This record gives sequence, C-alpha cells and structure tokens, in this order.
Amino acid sequence: METVTPSHYLCLSLCLFSIGFLGVLLRRNLLLVLMSLELMLNGINLALVNFSRTSLNLDGSIFVFFIMTVAAAEVAVGLALLVALYKRRNSVFSEDINLIHN
Amino acid sequence: MIQVALSLLLLPLLSAIVTLLFLRKHGNIAALLSVATAGGILAFSSYLIFGNETGSVFAWSTPWFSLSNWQLDFGFLIDSPAKTLLFVVSFVGLLIHIFSLGYMADDQAKARYFGGLSIFMFSMLGITLADNLVMIFVFWELVGFSSYLLIAHYFKTDEAAKASRKAFIVNRVGDFGFLLGIIFTYWTFGTVNLQELSVTANLDPSLTSTILCLLLACGFIGKSAQFPLHVWLPDAMAGPTPVSALIHAATMVAAGIFLLIRIEFLFTAEAFKLIGLLGAVMGLYAGFCALTQRDIKKVLAYSTLSQLGYMAAAFGLGLPGIALFHLMTHAFFKALMFLGSGSVIHACHHEQDIFAYGGLRKKMPITAYTFLIGVMAISGVHFLSGYFSKDAILLGAYNLDFVIFCILYAGAVLTALYMFRLYFLTFCGAARSKSSSEAKESTIFMTGPLLILGVLSVLGGFHAFYPSQIVEFLLPDIARVADMPNHLWMNVLGLVAWVGGLVLARKIYGAQSGDKDPLAEKSPALFQLSNSKLFFDEIYSFYVKKIQDPFFRFLEVMELLFISGLLVRGSAGVAALFALLGKSFYSGKIHSYSFWFVSGTIGFLAYAIFSGGSN
Amino acid sequence: MVCSKHPVSAAMFMIISLVGVAALFVLLEAFFLAVLQILVYAGAVMVLFLFIIMLLDVGPQGGKASKMKLISGLAAGFTVSLLLVIFLIVVQNSGWLGEHSTWLPVDNEAAMTQGENLSFSTSVKSFGYGLMTKYMFPLQISGFLLLAAMVGVIVLSKNNEKEAG
Repeated sequence: METVTPSHYLCLSLCLFSIGFLGVLLRRNLLLVLMSLELMLNGINLALVNFSRTSLNLDGSIFVFFIMTVAAAEVAVGLALLVALYKRRNSVFSEDINLIHN
Repeated sequence: MIQVALSLLLLPLLSAIVTLLFLRKHGNIAALLSVATAGGILAFSSYLIFGNETGSVFAWSTPWFSLSNWQLDFGFLIDSPAKTLLFVVSFVGLLIHIFSLGYMADDQAKARYFGGLSIFMFSMLGITLADNLVMIFVFWELVGFSSYLLIAHYFKTDEAAKASRKAFIVNRVGDFGFLLGIIFTYWTFGTVNLQELSVTANLDPSLTSTILCLLLACGFIGKSAQFPLHVWLPDAMAGPTPVSALIHAATMVAAGIFLLIRIEFLFTAEAFKLIGLLGAVMGLYAGFCALTQRDIKKVLAYSTLSQLGYMAAAFGLGLPGIALFHLMTHAFFKALMFLGSGSVIHACHHEQDIFAYGGLRKKMPITAYTFLIGVMAISGVHFLSGYFSKDAILLGAYNLDFVIFCILYAGAVLTALYMFRLYFLTFCGAARSKSSSEAKESTIFMTGPLLILGVLSVLGGFHAFYPSQIVEFLLPDIARVADMPNHLWMNVLGLVAWVGGLVLARKIYGAQSGDKDPLAEKSPALFQLSNSKLFFDEIYSFYVKKIQDPFFRFLEVMELLFISGLLVRGSAGVAALFALLGKSFYSGKIHSYSFWFVSGTIGFLAYAIFSGGSN
Repeated sequence: MVCSKHPVSAAMFMIISLVGVAALFVLLEAFFLAVLQILVYAGAVMVLFLFIIMLLDVGPQGGKASKMKLISGLAAGFTVSLLLVIFLIVVQNSGWLGEHSTWLPVDNEAAMTQGENLSFSTSVKSFGYGLMTKYMFPLQISGFLLLAAMVGVIVLSKNNEKEAG
C-alpha cells in the first residue's frame, strides 16, 4: 500500500481497542485493568476522529471532546473506588476481593 | 317429613362428633349420649314409619354436586322395604346400645366405642334411606369404616387389629365390584336413582344384563360375607360382643340383602338363579363349619353366614319379601343369641371357649332361657318367629327349585344340630372350668334387652301383630307362599329337622365332661373337614403371600426405578443441571464477570447487525 | 503496557501510547484534540494513576500464575493483531467503508457559515463555535458530570472512623 487510508486508522483503532480489551480481561491488578480501559477509550477516540475527518463533519471531534471529559471523570471516581477497596482488602488484586470462596 | 328424615340421619353423626371433640375422656357421658341418640333415632324412625298411611312412598332429593353433564343427588326414598329395615335397625340398635351400657361398664375406652356405634348408626341409616346407588355406595363404605373402627376396639391385641384389617380389605374387594356395577348401571341406564331405574328397567327389561346384576351383587357378597368373600366374618368376632350383635348379625350384614331388594328390578333370571344357588350353598357350608367351632361367638358367626345364605336363597327364588321377613326375624333371634353370649362372656370373665363352660343354666337363668328361645327360633321350632320365615323359604324352595330346597334342608338339619350343641355345651351339665363355676347373672342393662328380644323372637313371626306399615313389603310374598301347595309335608320335614337335630345334639354333647370335642373321637374325618372350613383362609393367604406380594414387590421396584427415579428425580436432575449452569456464572471473579458482560454485548451487537434491521 | 510486570512501567508505556495517539490526531488534522489529549489524558489521568500507584505501593506481580497469564496474553494479542491485519486488507479492498475510503481536503472557511451541519475544520474556533451552539446542552451536562465526579471522589475517600470526643 502506498498511502495511508482511513481503513488503516480504523485497523489501528481496532488494535488499540482489542489490546485494551484483552488487558481488561487478563490482568489481575485492578489498576492495570483501569488503565486498559482507558486504552480502549483511546482506540475509540481515534476511530471517531478518523471518521470525522473523512466525512468532513465536526460532530465526531466534538464527541471525542466529550468522551475525554467523561473518561477523566470516570478515572477519578474509579481510582477513588479502588483506594476505598484497598482500604478494605489491603490488596488491589482481583483474586483477593472475591467474596465467594470456591 | 324432610326435616325428620334429615334429623334422623344427622342425629347419630352429631353424637359421634360431639363424642370425638369433647367427650374423649368422659366415657360415661359419651355412653349416655349414645344411648339417648339411639332413643332419638327410634323416635324419629317411628315418626317416619307411622307418620303416613300404609303404602305411601316418601321420596325427596336435592342435588349434591354437579359436574358439567353429570349430577349427583342426595336424597331419601322411604318406601316399604326401607320402613321395615328402619324399624329393625332402630329398635335392635337401641336394645344393643342399652346392653352395651352393661357390657362395656368396665372398659377403658368407652368414648371410642360409643362414638363408633354412633357413626355406625349414621352410616346404616344412610344406606336405609338412600335413594340412589352412589349414595348407597358412600354409606356402604362408611359402614365398612365403622365396622373397621369397632372391630379394632381392642386394638392392642394382634388378633383384633388383623381382623379389622381383613374385614375392611375383603369388604373393599366386594365394593370394587359394586362400584363397577354402579358405573355400568349409569352407562346402561343413564341414571343411578333407584326410582328412575325401576321405571326404566320395567319399561325395557332387555337393557339389564346378568353381568350388571352380578357386579352390583358383589357389594352384597362382600358386605354380607357370602362365598367367596366370607372369610372376614368369623375373624370379626374379635370385636366386642355388642358390636358383633349389632353389626355382624342384625344390621350391617343385612345391608347386603337390603341392597339386593332395592335393585331387584334389575335382575335377570340367570342372576336370580345364581344368587339363589350361591346363598343355598353358603347356608350349607357355613352350617357345616359351625359344627366344630369352639369359640361361642364364632359358632354364632357361622350361623349368621348360614342364615344370610338363606336370605339370599329366598331372594334368588324370587321372594324378596320373604328374604326381608327372614332378615327381620333373624335380627331378633341372632341379636338375642349374641347378646346372650355377651352376657355369658362377661360373666365368665371373657372366657369364650364353649368347652370351658357348662352348667350355666343354674347360675344365669334369664340368659339361659332367653338363649334357649333364640336357639329354638333359629332351628325352626314351630310357631316361633324363625319357624315362619324359615318355613316360608323352604316351602318356596320346594315348589320353585328342588335343588336349592335339598341344600337348604340339609342346612336346616345342621343348624338345629350345632345350635343345640352350643346350648347343651354352654348351659347344661356341670361346670367345666373355674370361670364358669363362678358366673352369676348379669345386670338389668344386659338382661333387659335379652328379655325384650326373647319376647320378639317368640312373637315376631306373627306378621298380623305388626303395624301394617312395617310389614307392608312382606305381605305380598307371604301371601304368595301361603298359596303354595305342600304345606303339611313341609311342616313334617321341618319337625324332623329340628327334632333330629335336638336329639343328635343331646346324644353327642349332652353329657360333655371333658375338654375335647366328642365329634373328634367319633368321626375324625368329618371333624377335620369341618374344622378346616374347606381351607379358604389358607387359599387366600397363599394367594396373597405367594402370588400377590411378589408381584407387588416387582411393581414397587419398577416404580422406584422408573417413576421415582427417572421421571421425578430425573426431571429434578434436569432442573438441577440448569441450576449448575447458572451457578457457574457466579464465580466472584471480576474478570469472568467482565468477560461475560462483553460477550453478551458483542452477541447483542452481532444480532443487531447481522439479522433484521433495515439499515 | 498490558503485558508489563510492574505497574509503574505499565503507566509509562501508557503515557507513550497516549502521546502516540495524540500524534495520530495531529496527522488527522485534529490539532485541538491532539493538545487536549496530551493535557488531559497524558497529563492528568496518567498522573493520577501514578499517584495511586505510589500511594498504594503496588509491587510487581510475581509468581507462576502471572507468567502464564503473560504468555497467554501475548499469544492472544498476537492472534488478534493478525486477524486485524487481515481485516485491514479485506476492508481496504472491499470498499466496505464507502464514502469513508479516502481523505477529502478540508475547507476551513466554510466551517462557521453552516448552521446545524458542522463542517470539519482544523481551527479551534470552529470547535468552540460547535460547542457553544449545537452542543451547548451536552457541555452543560458534562460540567455537572465533572462536579458530580468531584463530589463523589470526595465522599468516597472520606474516612469512616468516628473521631473521639
């Protein structure tokens, strides 16, 4: 391929998203789970900006703006929850917060 | 009339309920309540019998419950046979209640006994008054239940418990046939109401069939202990003696005959013949078995079986009125003899072996002489009550069916023989055991009814003495027999029968001094045959143990495997599988939760994108 | 980032990743968003993450289980990437994207003259214009959202022990 086409960006966005997804599923450290969640959101942002550029519509970009806002708020609350959890269980690993003892 | 009939029916039920709820520990009050109820029953029945003039029939019914196209009625039919039976049941019932006051005076569980008697009166009156077959069946079962209750009065003994179970189960076998008969009747005729049935059957005699009659007669065979379901009656003697008198002599076993009379219009000629033959054979067989019994009550039980056979034979000859007549006189003298035996048993401290009695005539004169009257009545001594009804049956048999006559006549000879044997062994000679030498006459509660029944046994055969309402059903057949020839010859034969029996008994048993039955020494083969009762009990228990039980055990295994195992626990297992599947989702691990969450979302998305959707 | 052992390394890698995404935004001529990405994500969110890592003193994940997870994670990632490359080729050649297959030139002047139909432009002004006209309501809501998040965080980190006296 000679030029970079929108589908490249789409593919990259998908990459980011799936890497983040796998990180959410497979990591035991809850902090890293949250970070992977952020990665997923970034992938989505990339896809949105891409489509905004190709359709020449600013709506996509503005939506990305809002996503970033919400993501920031969400990270804040998520981390506060994590800290509260840490105070209870003294650990940030997912197997330690399991109440069902199998 | 309706209110009187309803109160008549419900009065004993009320007494039973009151006894059950409040008087469990107060046996004496329960006893008095029960006797008062019996008196009330007599009063109400008298009103029902004499309230209207002769020949009137009172019929009333009300729907009890109705399904979509079938309705069950609850109603009364008080016609002539019902009036006769009502008189017998209430009168004899009252006398037995009074007797029970004396006999059960030192019993521990009086309330249970008298409550059971009240339930029995309720059920028996139900059968008497019922106007449709299903209602008869309901009360039939209730009578069987009260019999079960009362036989098992001394339930702590093994004998009584087994006997009551046996009675109920054998009865049930007969009732199964009865139920099939009722269903068949409904199928053929479209109704179970007795009056409608009689109208329909008379209009179109071809509708009925012998099978139908025999199925309905299964109820009679079970309840009145005819062949082959007769095995329960001798064992039922394990109950208290007044119970034996009331239920197993005078009334319940007579309910079978009453049923036959009620459905007489359905009977075909073959059915009549069969019932007649069955009854005659029973009369002979039971008489034969009674010859070697040692227990006083068992002798009387076999005697009842024999007389029921006579009634059935009379019915089979086409003389239902005579059958009812014999029922009435039999109720009097059999109840008399049972109550007399009760008096003897009570006086000898519950010793029941007749070879342990002897010489009681001097110690208990009233009992002895009334018992003698009963013995003479059943043997057909001339001009006592039994003579009239028995003579009528024999005369009818002689003229209508000679085979039946021969069988019945042989039975009559045996009857006289064993009855006088009973009398001589019990009351004559010297006392053969300690209990009989210490006996003394019973209280007025017991001797009073004996005297009244004695009078009735003497005079009961003169149907002219009765008010016409009571004998209304009997008169046509009595007149029919009176018109038959060979009266004199029959009288001679009858004389031969009872005199022969009396003499033979005197010869063999008159000088009894030991414990052994003299017949055993004189003709052991005869003795063994009679004692074996033709092995009916053995045959039945063989069947139950060897054939029925293994089969049912096999069914039980099948049921355990397939129904409990496969169906019930299998379906539970399938549900449990689903539960396990659901449970696997609850791991507590955050990762699995998020995994399933995302999977579900992806699934939804896939569904939304790749199916449906207009975009 | 996803595979690293130490959370701090993961955070570092994340920052690099986010800066890369910002660079891609620049390439896509969404300059405002690129700067915003650096400022908000890399600057605030990741710093917050680092704060928490330092606060909770989270050590490296060790043990045999994490090794297995690592390898399986790597394998899964590799498979997914392969699939994605294939997807890329397929999508590019099938024309599935339709009108989104190529870039068109951007016309900055037309951005603010349209009404409801916002046109893509590289200037921040048009961004602000869009925010204040078409997306006014979401803007206000996001303000409230941030307020709520702040209050929530304060409540969540409150100490539950009762003070004596």
